[in-house]
Formats: sequence, structure tokens, C-alpha cells
Amino acid sequence: MRTTNWNRFFIICVLASVIAGMAGIQLIRIQNIEGAKQILADSEAYQGINRMIYPERGSIYDSDGRLLAGNEVVYEVGLDLQAIQQPETVASVASSVLGLDYSRVLGYAQMTPGNGNPYFIVLDGFVSKDKIAQLESIKEDYANRSTKRGEVRPNLLGLVWTANNKRSYPEGTLASNMLGFYSFLDRTDGIGYFGVEEAYDDLMAGEPKQVYSAIDPNLLTSLEEVPPGVTVQLTFNREIQAMTEKKLDEAIEWSGAENGTIIVYNPETGEIIAMATAPRLDPNEYWNYSELFPNPKPFNSAISSTYEPGSVFKVLTMAAGLDSGVVTANTTFNDTGSLYVGGATIYNWNMGGWGEVDMTGCMQHSLNVCLAWLGMELGPDRFYSYMKSFGFDRNTGIDLGGESHWPLKLPGDGLWYEVDLATNSFGQGISVTPIQMVTAIGAIANDGKMMAPHVVKAMVIDGKQYNIDPVVVGTPVSAETAHTLTTMLVNSLENEASNALVEGYSLAGKTGTGEIATPLGYTNSSTNTSFVGWGPADDPKFLVYVWLEKPEISIWGSEVAAPVFSDLVSDLVVLLNIPPDNVRLAEKSDNTSIAGTE
Amino acid sequence: MKKNLVQAYKQAPWRTQIQWIGIFLLVLVGVAVIAGVYLMISGRAAATGRRIQSLEAEISALEMEINDLKTQYAQVSSAKSLSERAEALNMTLLDPLKAMYIEVPGYIPPSQPALAPPPTVEDISTPVLLPEFTASLWDWLRLQVFIEPNLSAESTESNDTGLISPAPTEVTP
Repeated sequence: MRTTNWNRFFIICVLASVIAGMAGIQLIRIQNIEGAKQILADSEAYQGINRMIYPERGSIYDSDGRLLAGNEVVYEVGLDLQAIQQPETVASVASSVLGLDYSRVLGYAQMTPGNGNPYFIVLDGFVSKDKIAQLESIKEDYANRSTKRGEVRPNLLGLVWTANNKRSYPEGTLASNMLGFYSFLDRTDGIGYFGVEEAYDDLMAGEPKQVYSAIDPNLLTSLEEVPPGVTVQLTFNREIQAMTEKKLDEAIEWSGAENGTIIVYNPETGEIIAMATAPRLDPNEYWNYSELFPNPKPFNSAISSTYEPGSVFKVLTMAAGLDSGVVTANTTFNDTGSLYVGGATIYNWNMGGWGEVDMTGCMQHSLNVCLAWLGMELGPDRFYSYMKSFGFDRNTGIDLGGESHWPLKLPGDGLWYEVDLATNSFGQGISVTPIQMVTAIGAIANDGKMMAPHVVKAMVIDGKQYNIDPVVVGTPVSAETAHTLTTMLVNSLENEASNALVEGYSLAGKTGTGEIATPLGYTNSSTNTSFVGWGPADDPKFLVYVWLEKPEISIWGSEVAAPVFSDLVSDLVVLLNIPPDNVRLAEKSDNTSIAGTE
Repeated sequence: MKKNLVQAYKQAPWRTQIQWIGIFLLVLVGVAVIAGVYLMISGRAAATGRRIQSLEAEISALEMEINDLKTQYAQVSSAKSLSERAEALNMTLLDPLKAMYIEVPGYIPPSQPALAPPPTVEDISTPVLLPEFTASLWDWLRLQVFIEPNLSAESTESNDTGLISPAPTEVTP
């Protein structure tokens, strides 16, 4: 009996072992047949997903680190058709909260997915957080609702939302002419238009990356970092920009001008401190662009509009005359009131003669005849060589999208005539952009060194900040010429008791009144009024360019643009912390004496 | 005599059966314990993996939230908004002619704000879970017994031939 039990037990063990062994062999076999390998290969597709990650677009800050363009969270709300249980409930809630058409949403919700129908339908791509909070509240309310027997609890299954970034401009229209805009409604192919958004579009957009993320938790790897786009810090200060825009708007309203531009520039570094134009688009609603800027109105007239600047251009002619040695500040000219050149007669603004005047007097009284004579004395080769050195034959290269320039007419061109040399000398017959004028005249305010104008001060790339150094793009005139001309312009403003003067500050400046050409010649009574000025004269920290287009209250730059300059500079010196000359120079001499003592 | 001795030391048949059953159950319990431990580790690894996935999603959501809050802050402190609030508090713009400038010894004007975040440790994409937690027992044993010893041997050889960079030297300031 005991032997029999033993045998039975032995047989059972052997059988169990054989069965287990066979099961093991079968397990190994199943895992190694062709079909199993195929299943294993197919399963890899379900172990993870490849996703295209679009990096967060880089932000834009002002010089004090205040956000000008960033990203805010919005939600994409859609219908997952496979998950919908109650189409009527979903349609009712979606239409009431999102303001969508009930019957349209219901039509979508009742669709059967597949067979040509989509599985997912986007209802709204840009839903605010407030509305999502409402949807969540309704969803929670439905989940907590008690129901009676036989009653179906309402649910929003199938109504789904996911968070996304949306470009946002917290300052609205402020500096929008410099910022440009990003077409955020196009979530995958949006691009930057105009300004910084266009000029730095590639950098700010970053590099989209294909990223593999494992679904199988056993294969989990840390998510690959997708670096955000480049963040840029601009050169302008928000408060000064806001003040400049306010002054421009007031000036346009006061003068009845059609349009206007003001640029505040740092001649030492080439940094744009403020740049105001009108009109200004709110980049949060960029779809209004074509309405606000009907063709051919430029988005940023400071860099895209060309015009005949008039007498502000005389600064550059005089700089060329002084630098080449053709004249000095004391050279005199006998102004008879007219000059015959190339078949045309040049007159002064008042059609009168001013007799014997020195070069300061020529600038003070803004004598066309005197400057035309100077241009002729320089000759076309020297004159245009200087104009090319000042950059009028090319774009300034400012880092804003949309810059343009008018080609400089040169001797030898089919369109150039001898009279052009005379008229160009006092700013007629030549078209320039405000930024070209600012860059060129900036050289006079900066010891003859012309700086590259720019709006980006620093960039943050991969977590590291790179500051942009100022770049000298040329030295069109010597430092001595620049100082002499600055002194002449300080004196001419003071002698004239100009509307541009600011109490307590020594400023150099020049008015400009440019006639506007029509197809029939200069028959239009409207003018372009301008003023360019810089200060403090002994150590310039700012240069301001004002251009008001076709003002109604007066045609003269001295009566329209000059007071705007004065009004703006009065506030600008406070915001830039520049004390009046007596305080500043006293402080400087104190420091010098202390240094001397040491 | 020999037969008697054998009989004297032979186990009783029921004892032999008990021993076999005991050995079999011991093996069974052993296998069950190993399977249980393996299952527990796998389960915990999977749960940890899921948690990491959800934390990564949370990081992504928080980054978006931070950007959103920055933008909201910028909106409420915009130039227009601050100007309106200042006016509501009866504040007026300074008359430039009344500005008083005072020399403050030792005053250092604010420098350019740093926008870049402070430097962090370089992030390298690595497996979150070690192979000990994801490999099967057999794979793990194979790794330890056959693969890793070979790798460490190669590494030693490389060091001998100087193909791999030498050990870091102490850097003194």
C-alpha cells in the first residue's frame, strides 16, 4: 500500500513536471515564432508616441525688464465623438458657455465617428480660462447630482479641452509699431509680421522637436527638453515710449497733421529709446491690420516712409562743407535771395535776400540759397560721397522688419540733373526715412561716429543672456566737425529764440519744412514739418526727431515741429534723469576737482 | 548481516513521502515568493512610472501657468493701467521745472535687469527607472553575469591604453 502511494505520488510529480515543462517549452516557442515577433514589433507602436513639440515662443521685454509680449493660457475645446454619451447635453452646455450655435454643435455631437467622419472636432481653439472654469463647474455639478431611480445623470463625456499657449501683448497698442505681431490664430504655422516679431521670428519661434514619449511606464524616459524660443530685451523704456506716443497723439490733434513720427535715439550707442508713429495696431487683435493700414500705408512710418525732409537735411550738407574744408563756421556768404542752377532758380523760404551771413546765420535763418551754394562748392562727387557715408544709399539695417529706403539719385543716373545737387543740399528732391535721418545726424551728436540703430539690447538663448554691443557703422565726419556744427546749431537755436528751446538745457537743433511733390511739381500747399535736436550739447544723451505730415495750423517746422520737440524734451530729461546744465556741470566740476585733489 | 544493517537505517516510507512533499512544497513556496516579489516590484515600478508621467505633465502645465501669470501681472501693471490708477489717486505729472536733483553719495543706479534664469545642472535625457526595476529576473542575471563584467573589463582595458579620459585631477583655486 505504501509503495503504491509512493508510486502514485511519483507519477503525479512526473506528470506535473512534464506538463509544466511542456508549458514552459510552449511559452518559449510562442515567444519565438514569426507571428510572435511580428506582434512584438507591432506592440512597439503602442509603447509610446512621437509628438512634435512646439517650443514656447520667446518673450519680449523693455529695457527695465517689463513684459511687452508674452504667452497666456487658452484652451482648445473639442468633441471626442467616440466618448460622447449625451449629445444634447454636450451641445446645450457648449452653446451656452462658449456662445456657439446649438444646432451646429448638436449636429457634430450626433456624428458617428469613422467611415469618413472625423473622430475629433475642434469647436473653439481659443477659449479663456474663465469659460473653462464654468465648464468644469458644470461638469462637477453633474457628477455630484443625485438622481432618482430610472433617471439618467447628465454628463459631458466627449466634451474635452486642452491647454495651449497664445501670444499676448499686455501693453496693447504701446510700441506696437516696433513689436509687430505674431499670427497666433495659426497654431502651427504662425509667423511674426513687422517689427521685432518679424526680424527675430526664427529665433523667437525656437526649434520644434520630434519627441518620443513612452506610454509603457516600464520604458519611461525623462522627457527631452525642448528649449523655449529666444527671449529678447529691447532698448526702449516703457515709460518714455508711452510719454512719446502721448506727445505724438497730442501733436497730431493740435496741429491737424495727417500723420506723425517721433524717434528718440541714443547717439552714443545707437539704441532706440522710443519710436512713436500713428496709427498703432493692437497686436492682440492683429486681424484689424488691413483696416487700420490700407495699402500703401506703412506699418511703421519711422522706418518705411520716405519723404523729402526739407531743411533738417541742411545739417548734413553743412557737416560735409565743414568736414571737407570748403567752409568754416566763420565763412561768409552774400545772399542775394536767389541762385540760378541747371536751368532753375533757387529761392529762400521767404523769397528774400539776407545779405552777408556767416554759416551759423545760414543755418539759423535756414537759407536755401546759401546751402545750395555750399552744395555747388562741394561739387557732386564730394557731396554724394558724404551722403553715401551718411548711409542714404541703403537701409540702416535696424533690427525691425519692414525697413525700406528710396534710392539715392546720383550723377550718371538717368534721373539725376544738375539742379538736383542744389535742391538736395537743402533737403528737396531727395527722399529719406526718419530712421536714416536719425542715424546720419546721430553722427554729428556723437563725435562723428555713426552708430548702427538697434532696438534689441540683449537676448536670452538657452538660459544664457547675451548683451548686444553698440556697433560703429562709419565715421562720416571728424569729431572736430561734429563739435563745430553742434556749437553752430546751439547758437542758431538760441539766437533765433526758437520754440524748440528747453529752459535750463543747451540743445542743438534744426527745423525742417519740406515741400511735397505732386506729379505736376511742388504745387501742393501742404508741407512736411520736421525738427531734429540733441542734447545736452556738450555730452549728448538723446537725439529727438519729430516729423508731422501735412499739419493744418501752420506749414512751418519752426511753428509745428519745434514746439513738440520742446514739450517732449521737457519730460524726457526727467525720465532720463538728466539734470539741468547748471546742476550737471557743477556736479561734473566737483567730481573733476575731487579727482584732481586725489 | 548486510541486509540487517540496511534495514536498520532505511527511512520509513511515510517519512520519505513527507520529505519529498516537503521539498516540493519548499520549491513551490520559493517560486511563489520570487514571483510575488517580482510582481510587487513590477507593480511598484509601473505605478512610479505613471506618477512620473503625471508629474511631467504637471511640470508642463505649471510652466504654462507661470507664463500666464507673468502675462496677467504685466496686464495689471501696464503703463496705461498704472497711469489710470495714479490719476484716480489724484497724482499729477511732475513739472520738469520743479524737479529737484540731489546728489546721493554712494548711490548706484540700477543696472540692466538679468532676464536669464540662474544656471542649473545640465539636464541629460536618461532612463528614469533603472534596469533592476524593469528587466526580467533572467535578463537582470544575464546582465550581471555576462554583459556587465565584460563591459567593466573593456573599460579597464581602455583606461590602460588611455583611450578614455584620465581621472579628474583636483583643481585648486
